[in-house]
Amino acid sequence: MTTSSSTGLTAPGRATRRRLGRGADPLVGKCLIALGSAAALGSTFLSWTWTTAFPGDLTVTGYPGGNQLITLFLSILTLLALGPALLPGGVPGTRWIAPRGSVRLLRSLSLANAASTGYVVVAIAWELGGVANYVAGTWIAGASVLLPVLGAWLLPEDDHEPAPARPTPRWAQIVVVFVVVMLGLLVTDFGVTTGFSEEFIGFCLGAGFAGRGLAASGLFDRFSALTAANRVATGWAVFAAAVSFVFLQSSDAYTSVADNILIFATVALGLNIVVGLAGLLDLGYVAFLGVGAYTAALVSGTAASRYAHVVLPFWAQALIGVAVSVLAGLLIGAPTLRLRGDYLAIVTLGFGEIFRITMNNLDGQSGPQVTNGAEGEYGIPDLRLFGYDFGRPHTVLGHTLGRFGNYYLLLVLVIALVIFIFARVNDSRIGRAWAAIREDETAAEAMGVHGYRFKLLAFGLGAGLAGLAGTIQGHLTSTVTPDQYTFSSSAPPNSAFLLAAVVLGGMGTISGPLLGASLLFLIPDKLQFFHNKQLLLFGIALIVMMRLRPEGLVPDKRRRLEFHERETAAEEAYEELVVDELDRSDGLDELEAEARA
Amino acid sequence: MSVTVLLQLVENGLVLGAMYGLIAVGYTMVYGTIQLINFAHGEIFMLGGFGALTVYAWIPGVAHLPLFAALPLMLLGGVVVAVAAAVGAERLAYRPLRTAPRLAPLITAIGLSLALQQVVSLWYRLPGGGNAKAPVAFPSFGGKAFDLGGVLVQRADLFTVIAAAVCMAGLAWFVARTRSGRAMQATAQDPDTARLMGIDPDRMIVVAFAVGAALAAVAALTQGLRYGQISFDMGFVAGLKAFTAAVLGGIGNVRGAMLGGIVLGLAEELSSGILAHFRDTAQYGQAWADVWAFVLLILVLLLRPQGLLGERVADRA
Amino acid sequence: MFQRSLAVLGAVAGVCGLATACGSRSQSAHTASGSGGGATVVKIGLDAPLTGGLQALGLGMQYSAQLAVDLANKQQAVPGVTFQLVAKDDQASASIGEQNAAAYVADPGVAGVVGPLNSAVAQSMQSVFNQANLVDVSSASTNPSLTQGPNWKTAKTRAYPSFFRDITTDAVQGPFAADYVFKTLGIHSVATVDDGQTYGVGLVETFSAEFKKLGGQIALAQTATANTTDYSSVISAVKSSGAKLVYYGGEYPAGAPLSKELKAAGLNIPEMGGDGNQDPTYIKTAGPASNGDFATVPGAPLAALPSAKDFIAQYQAAHFPAPYAIYGGTSYDAAESIILSVKAALAQDGGKMPAGDAFRSQVEKAEQAVSFDGATGPVAFDQYGDVGSKVITMYKIENGAWDQGVYSGAFAG
Repeated sequence: MTTSSSTGLTAPGRATRRRLGRGADPLVGKCLIALGSAAALGSTFLSWTWTTAFPGDLTVTGYPGGNQLITLFLSILTLLALGPALLPGGVPGTRWIAPRGSVRLLRSLSLANAASTGYVVVAIAWELGGVANYVAGTWIAGASVLLPVLGAWLLPEDDHEPAPARPTPRWAQIVVVFVVVMLGLLVTDFGVTTGFSEEFIGFCLGAGFAGRGLAASGLFDRFSALTAANRVATGWAVFAAAVSFVFLQSSDAYTSVADNILIFATVALGLNIVVGLAGLLDLGYVAFLGVGAYTAALVSGTAASRYAHVVLPFWAQALIGVAVSVLAGLLIGAPTLRLRGDYLAIVTLGFGEIFRITMNNLDGQSGPQVTNGAEGEYGIPDLRLFGYDFGRPHTVLGHTLGRFGNYYLLLVLVIALVIFIFARVNDSRIGRAWAAIREDETAAEAMGVHGYRFKLLAFGLGAGLAGLAGTIQGHLTSTVTPDQYTFSSSAPPNSAFLLAAVVLGGMGTISGPLLGASLLFLIPDKLQFFHNKQLLLFGIALIVMMRLRPEGLVPDKRRRLEFHERETAAEEAYEELVVDELDRSDGLDELEAEARA
Repeated sequence: MSVTVLLQLVENGLVLGAMYGLIAVGYTMVYGTIQLINFAHGEIFMLGGFGALTVYAWIPGVAHLPLFAALPLMLLGGVVVAVAAAVGAERLAYRPLRTAPRLAPLITAIGLSLALQQVVSLWYRLPGGGNAKAPVAFPSFGGKAFDLGGVLVQRADLFTVIAAAVCMAGLAWFVARTRSGRAMQATAQDPDTARLMGIDPDRMIVVAFAVGAALAAVAALTQGLRYGQISFDMGFVAGLKAFTAAVLGGIGNVRGAMLGGIVLGLAEELSSGILAHFRDTAQYGQAWADVWAFVLLILVLLLRPQGLLGERVADRA
Repeated sequence: MFQRSLAVLGAVAGVCGLATACGSRSQSAHTASGSGGGATVVKIGLDAPLTGGLQALGLGMQYSAQLAVDLANKQQAVPGVTFQLVAKDDQASASIGEQNAAAYVADPGVAGVVGPLNSAVAQSMQSVFNQANLVDVSSASTNPSLTQGPNWKTAKTRAYPSFFRDITTDAVQGPFAADYVFKTLGIHSVATVDDGQTYGVGLVETFSAEFKKLGGQIALAQTATANTTDYSSVISAVKSSGAKLVYYGGEYPAGAPLSKELKAAGLNIPEMGGDGNQDPTYIKTAGPASNGDFATVPGAPLAALPSAKDFIAQYQAAHFPAPYAIYGGTSYDAAESIILSVKAALAQDGGKMPAGDAFRSQVEKAEQAVSFDGATGPVAFDQYGDVGSKVITMYKIENGAWDQGVYSGAFAG
C-alpha cells in the first residue's frame, strides 16, 4: 500500500529525472558510489600509517579512530543516501533521507568524504614527510573516496518538488525529533571534543559538505517542518541534548570550552535582538557584558572589591547586574536613538571605549576607588545557588560534574531563557514593530508605530540580557578586568567578534548566532596555527559575507528578502518562466508518448 | 595657573585639533556624498603614515636627506598609499553594496578596518627585519622648539598647522572652483538631478574618497612627526575622534569638519590640562581625556544634532 | 514504511554513538603506549601569549622552557621519565587562560605548568590549578597580590598553595627605584606617570610609597590612557610642578614618546621606568634626547651572571626561532624547578609514579621545598611562593644604547 501511494506521489518527479538522464548510464555511477563507499568504510578498519607521530594514532588495525571515524560515518551516510536511488522506488526505509531526490545529496556526501579523507591522506604525507608513510590502508582510503565523486557526477540530476510528508502519529514525530536532535548533539560533541587540528579540519570539511547536501536533498526542510509542528517537543529535545552534553564529558577539558562558547553565544543572541531584530548597529555591546560582570563582582564578596563586606546571594547579584545594564543601555540609548541613522553606531563605539577607560580609572588614583583599576576584581568566589556550590565537584546520576560542568548547566538554563525571550518577543507585536522600523522607519511611524519607544526597548532588552550573561561570566573566570571588554581583540568575546558571530550566523535568527559563535570560538581554539591571522580572516569574512551572502549562514526568511530584494524579484520571474517552459515540455513529452503508443 | 601655561595648552589644542580636522574631512566628504560612515577611514589614515614611512625607510638615500627635503617624498608616498587603499575599498567593497540595506556597507567597513590593521601588523617589514606589531619609530625634526614668549611651538607643530591651512585652502578652491569640485557638490545635494545634468556620480564618489584619503595621509605624517612613532592600531582612536569632530562641526560640511576638529582638540587639551594642573583635580586629567571627548559628542548630539555649522540632518536614515 | 525509516534512523544513531564512544581511543592509547614503551611521559605545561602584541615575550618563555625540558631529557635528569612540553596560547586573555588551565588539569600526564605572562591571566588560572593541586610557576607575572593576597600591603596571606613564581614582584622593583632616586641620584621631587595598566600602576604605587617614606615628594601623579602618545597636558603639568625626574610605570611604546616630548618641551629631566621600558626601540623612538634615562629590570643582568652564561650559550646553540627575551631566564628556571620537583616526588615513592591526584600534591610539596642554582641565580620559594632572590638591576642610556647596568643589588626593604 505504501509503495503504490508513494509511486503515485513522486511520479512527476520521476518523469523529469528520466528525461534529463538520457544518455548517461546511471548504473555505472551507482556502482561506483557503492563500491567506493564500501571500500572507504572497510579502509577505516585498517591502519593508515605506521607511526603514531600523526595525531590521533591511525596505526591500529581492527577498529577505526581519529579521522577514520569521520570517514566511516560519511561512508555509511553515503551508502544510506544511495538507498533511494537503488531499487525502483528506492530501498524501503531509506527514502526519507532525500525528499527532493538523492543525487545532489550523493554528490555533496561524496565530496564531503573525499574532502575530509583526502585532506587526511594529504596531511599524512605532508606532516610526516612523503608518501613513504602510507600503508595499504591509506592508499585504499585515498583512492576509494574518489570513486563516489566520479559516480555521483555520472548520475542524472533528479531534483524535484518533495512529496508532501505522510501523516504520521504525533508520538512518532516526537520520537524522530528527539532522535535527530540527539544525533545533532553527538555530531556537535564530536566537533567540540576534537583533540587536534587535523581532526577538526576533517570534521569541518565533512560536516560542511554533508550539511549542504542534506539541505539540498530537502531533508532539512522536512525536518524543520517537523519541528515547526512540534515546537514544544523540539524545545525540550534541544534542551535535553544540551544538558546531556555535559554527561558525555569525562573531564572538564572541553566543558570549559563549551562554557565560553555558551557565554559568547548568549551575548551574541542578545546582540541579535538589537542588530538583527531592531536593526540598530551596536558596536559597543560587549560593554554591557562588562557592566553585568562588574556589578556582580562588586557585590560578590571578593576581597578585591570596594564593597567586599557586601555579599549578596547570586539571584540578587544577577538582578542588580541586569538592572544596572538596562540602566546603562537606556542612558546611552535615550539621547542617541532619537536621531536617525548611523550616529548610534559611533556613539555605542564611544560608549564601549568610555566604559573600558572608566573602569580602568576608578582605581583610587585617577578617580575614586571602585573597580580596582586595571588589576580588576579578582578572586571572585564561585557561585552558590540554593546551597549548590558551583566550585565543588558534584555527583549527579553517577556522573561527576566538575566546576565547569556546574556552570555549563547554569549557562544552558540562561541561554534557554534568552532563546525563549527572543522567540516570544520576535513573534509578538513588538517583533513586528521592530521589523517595520527596520525596513522603513518613516513608513512605520506613519502607520502609528512609535519608533523611538520600540528602539529603546530593543536596546534595553539587549543590554539586560548581556548583563545577565556578564553576572555569570564574572564568577566563571573569577577575574573581571577592563581589558576583557574591548572593541576588538584576538580572543572572544569582544564587540567585533560578537558582531561577526551575528552577521556570519544570520541576523534575526536564533540558530544563526549560535552557529556563528561556536564557529568563531572553535576555529581559533582548535587551529592553533590560525591565531595570528584570525582577526584578518574575520575582517575579510565580514566583507565577503556582506557581498555574497549578507543574510548569513542560517538565513532568516524575511532578512533574505530584505537583502536580496532585486535578485529575488528577478529569480521569481525567472522561476515562473522555467516552470512555464517545463509545463510546456511536459506536455510535449506526453504528446510524444501518446503518439508512440 | 599662568597665562603662559594656558596659552601653551591652547597651542597644543590647536595643533591636535588641526590633525583631527584633517582626518574628519574624509568622513564628512564621504558621508556628504553617499551617507556612509566610512568606518575604515581611520585605517586609511594609518596606511598613509606607513606609506610615508616606507618611502623614508626603504628608498635608498631618502633617510640621508635632511628631513624637510625628504618630507615631500614621504608625503607623496603616504598620499599614494592612502588614496589607493581608499579608492580600492570603494571599488571592491562599497560600490557593490550601493543599493543594499544600510547595515551592509557599515559592517563591510568594520571588516575592512579589522583586515587593514592586521595586514599591516602581520606583513609590514622594516629594513633589517623589524615588524609593525609594536609601534615603529618615525623620523622627527631635530632642533629646538620656537619660543614665543614662553609658549613653545615645536617644529612639527608648525608643520601641522601650515599643512592643515594649505590643505583646507586647496580643498576650498577645489570644491568651489574646479569642475570636479562643483560636480561633487551637486552630487551631494541631489544625486538624481546631478546625474541628469551629465555628472557621473560614481566618479564623484571616488573623488570624495580620494580627497579624504589624501588629507588623512597628511594628518598621518604630522602624527608621525609629532610623536616620533606610528603604529598599526593608531587609526582606531584617531578615527573615532575625527568622526566626533565631523559630527561636532556638522557632518557633511567640510569647513565644519575642520572647525569641529579644532574645537575637539581644544576641549581635550584644555580640559585635561587644566584638570591636571590643580592638585585636587589632577587625577581627572589625561586619563579621562577620551572620556571628555565622547561626553562632548553625546552632548552635541543631544543639544545640537546638526552640529556647529548646522547642516540639516535630513531624513537620511 | 514509517517504522522502517525509524529503524534506519535508529541504526544511524547507534553507529554515531558507537563512534563517539570509540572516539576516546586515541587518547587512552597514547598514554598507554607512553608508559608501556619503557619511559613514563611526564608533561609540563606552558601558558603564555604566543600570538599577538606580546608574542615576542611569550615565545621567549616557550623556547626557554623547551630548552629546560630538552636538556633534562638529554641528560636523563629523572631516570625513566621523558618530559614533554605542552604549550598553550592564552592570547593574554583571562578567559582563554582559564580554559587552558582546565585543559591542563584534565590531562593526568601534566605535572606542572610554567606561566602565564599577564597577572590578570594568572588570577583566573590560580583557582583552577589550586583545586587540582597542580603546580603553576609563573615566570613573568609580577603583581604582588598573586602570591601575597589582595591585602598584601597590610596583611599577607597566601590563597593558592599551588601557585609559585620565580620573578621578583613589582613590590620590590618600585621601592628599589625609589631608593636609588632618593639616595644615589639625590633627587627629592618626582612626578609619576603611569599607563593605567596593572603593571604600570603597581610600579608607580610601590615607588611612590617608598619614596614618600624616604622623605621625598611626589610633585605630581598622572595616569595616561594606555597606548597614548600625546602627553602635552601631562607635560605642562610636570613643568609647573618643578619635578626633577619623571618616574614612568608602563611599557616602552607609550614610555618612549613621553621621554621625547618631555625633552622637546625643554624639560631636561630624566625619565625612569621599569623593565617594560628597557627596550632598544625606546631609544630609537625617543631619540638622542633619551640619553640619561633609567630603567630597572628584576634579576641580575643575564649577560653578566655566570650562571646565566650556560643558559644563553645553550639557547643560542639550540637555534630557536625567537630570542629568549626578558622572561627567558625565569621561564627556564621555572621549568627546571618543576623537573626537580617531579624527581623529588618520584624519589619519595621509590621511583614509581603515584596515581593521579596524589602525584600532583607530592609535586606541589616538592616544589615548595625546591632549592637550586638556576640561570637567574638561586631559586627557592618562601612561604608565599615567591622567590627568595630580590636582585634588581638599574640600567641607564648612555650614548644612544642601554648600558650593562649601572648598579645591581638586592632591595633590603
